[in-house]
This record gives sequence, structure tokens and C-alpha cells, in this order.
Amino acid sequence: MSITTMLVTMSDGMLKTFGIFFLTLLGALPLGMVVALLKKSRFLVVRGIVGIYISVVRGTPLMLQLLAWYFGPYYLFGWEIGGWRYPAIIVGFVLNYAAYFAEIYRGGIESIPVGQYEAAEVLGYSHTQTFMRIILPQVIKRIMPAITNEIITLVKDTSLAFTLAYQEVFSIAKQIAASQTSFMPFVIAGVFYFVANYLVEFVMKRIEKSMDYYK
Amino acid sequence: MILEMNNIQKQFDGLEVLKDISFGVDSGEVVSIIGPSGSGKSTLLRCATFLETIDGGEIKYMGKAAAHTNAQGKAEYVTAKELRQFRSYYGLVFQQFNLFPHYSILKNLIDAPIRVQKRSREEAMDTAMDLLRKMGIDSKADAYPFQLSGGQQQRVAIARALAMKPEILFFDEPTSALDPELTGEVLKVIKQLAEEKMTMVVVTHEMAFAKAVSNRVIFMDGGVIVEQGDPHDVFDNPQEERTKRFLSVFDR
Repeated sequence: MSITTMLVTMSDGMLKTFGIFFLTLLGALPLGMVVALLKKSRFLVVRGIVGIYISVVRGTPLMLQLLAWYFGPYYLFGWEIGGWRYPAIIVGFVLNYAAYFAEIYRGGIESIPVGQYEAAEVLGYSHTQTFMRIILPQVIKRIMPAITNEIITLVKDTSLAFTLAYQEVFSIAKQIAASQTSFMPFVIAGVFYFVANYLVEFVMKRIEKSMDYYK
Repeated sequence: MILEMNNIQKQFDGLEVLKDISFGVDSGEVVSIIGPSGSGKSTLLRCATFLETIDGGEIKYMGKAAAHTNAQGKAEYVTAKELRQFRSYYGLVFQQFNLFPHYSILKNLIDAPIRVQKRSREEAMDTAMDLLRKMGIDSKADAYPFQLSGGQQQRVAIARALAMKPEILFFDEPTSALDPELTGEVLKVIKQLAEEKMTMVVVTHEMAFAKAVSNRVIFMDGGVIVEQGDPHDVFDNPQEERTKRFLSVFDR
């Protein structure tokens, strides 16, 4: 099998990898904010539940979580899980990454000096205005490097979808490598992940730079 | 009376910080509050601006009660919506300026008037530029707070408070975070406002300034008002032993 043939065979997997990547960001970036705000809730029960969720998600392997999301419904409720593969992967990734993002957001929110809240309060801003106009923009600037780190990790973590035999780029690379007894598919996969992350770095640097006008 | 605070009580974890304090501020008055650290003067200001909630007593702006002691002996505030109305009566200048770093100087001045007070952009811009000119920093309108010196930042903070057109302006140690050589430019601005009959309450350690600018000086210690009156009387002829001891520390 030529390298070109390998590339063509793997290109469909690359699209699927991007699919997981973008859907996870689309779900986890906003959900993380909800989780972060719930973690700061006035209600002890809410804080407790969110705390347990974050601990479990961060304390167990993502691979295990994916298996649990996929097979859980069958073992727990005896449900038919045909067609549940892709949703299970997305749910697993989104809930996993939302927990990490939530902790980054929380750290960012807590790093804003209390004087910013007080100045906004005295000027008569509502709580929502204070958060959206004064606090959040400053939080985003501060957490950018940490978010970049997570996104880079996510690009590589998409390969864990092979656990559920999802045909993303790494699964296909493994199959070709086995059938052709060649290491080349792994090299291609490696280059693919590297280039993807190079793009992530490039884009994130641009975003960081766009917020460089203030300190 | 623009502000009345009657029998204000405030505790922090059982420690009484304000013990039954009463005072009022008339329109056009400039009141300085002096006293040692921990005397409760900043807490009094924070209670007046609702940044701290009182445990007992009454706070009135323009004759309307924002908080009062109810029949159960607990302080009760008006609703959050009504409190926002009360907030439009006053402005506060912080020791640490607390400008919004992600907004330009101009936006720091116009954002709240537009978003909170729903003024037109044109009107807010006009007011802001007038204020910046008055403060001598109109050339910095498009700069960001980090590009300004401490003295300039504090003048912007004063302008930001004034842009809301408050009835009364509070200052919480406005020059304590500044280099000695920068305090002058801020004090000059406050003095100018005093000459224009802006009603102000200034918590300060600048004794010479308090004496020169204010109509009334309040000396606080241990959560009570020890002595108050005309600045010349309080500074040159203090009646209370505690006031004498405090003032003797300062080079007069």
C-alpha cells in the first residue's frame, strides 16, 4: 500500500477526529462556565454535587469514562445501545473537558481583585452586567494560556475514541499498520496530530495577542 | 441633608467596629474623617456605600431610608432594585482606584452612564470629555489605565464617579496608594471640587489637606466619633485627650 493510498484511507478518520474535537469544544467550553458558576453556588447541595462530578471526572481515566458512557446504559438498564456509539463519545468528552474547563474558569474568576466587583457595584451595574462586562473579559484574558493547554491535550485525547472502535484517525492507523505490517500509518497519524496542534497554537496565539492592548 | 447615618452598628465576627455612630452631611459640605487604623472610618464609608451591611441603625439619602432597624432589632434594607436607585445618589473613589483595566479611559467614564443610567452616548461622551479636561487628562482619553501614573489613574477614578452625576462623593483614603509626589495632583482636584461646592466625605491621613479643605473634621477611634467640629478647632485646640495624642504624632 502506497503512502498516498494510506493518506486517502485515513482522511475520513481525520474528518471524524476533527468532528470529535469541535463538538467537544462546542459543548465543553460553555458547559464548563455553567459548572464553574454552579461550583460557586449559594447552595451547599449544588456545590457538593458539582464537586463530586469534578472529582470523579478528573480522578478516573477518560478511556474508562468512555467505556462507561457506551456500555453503561446496557448494563444498568438493559437498553439497546445500537447507534449510541458516537453520542456516547461526545457525551464522555464534553463532560470530561467541561470539568477541566470549569476549574480553569473558577481559578480565573477568583483571581479578579474584589475591587473590580466593588467598583462595578457602586456604579450600579447589575450582577449580570458586572459579570458579562467587567469580570468575564478579564477572566478570558487571564485563562488563555491554560485553555490553550487543554485544547492541545484534547487534540491528542481524541485518539481515545478508538476504545469504542470509532473510526477516527488513530483507529484506522492501527488497522492499516496491522494489515500492512508497516509503521508508516503511525508516522502519518503523528504528523497529523502535530500539524493540528500547530494550528491550535497559531490560532490561540492570535487570540491572546488580540487581548494584549491592556494589562 | 444628603446623607444621614443614625446609630450605626457593625460587627465583624463579634468584634464591634462601629458602635452607635451617628452623623449627617449637608449639601455642599466637605467632611474629613480622620483617625488611627482600625478606628472604623473606612468601615463607616463602606456601610454608607452599601459595600458592607449594617447590623443596626438607619441610613438615609435625600431624606429617604435605605436601611433601618426593624421591630426585631435587625437592620433591614430596601429591595435590591430600590438600592440601585440609592446608588445613583453617591459615588465612591477607592484607595486602589479600581479602574476597569480592559476599558479605555473614556470607556471607563461612559460605560456606566450608558449601561446603567441609560443616557445617550453623545451626552455621556460630552460629560466624560468635560470631566477629563477638568482633571487635565483629556489627552489620555484613548489610553488604557495601565499606561497612566497612579495620580492620573486616581483622577480618572474621580472623573468616573463624577460622570454618574452623584449628589455626594466619598473618598476612601484616595492618596494612600500614591507616591508622595503624586498625592498633590489628586488633592488639588479634590480641593477644586470643594470650591465648586461638591458635597464630599473624605477618609484621609492627610492632615494638612483635611484642615485646609474641609468644613468639618470627624475624629474616630475604637468605633466611635471621639470629636468633631470645625477643622481649626479640632486640629489646633482638640478637647479630647485621645485626639490630642493622635494629632501629636503628626508634624503640625
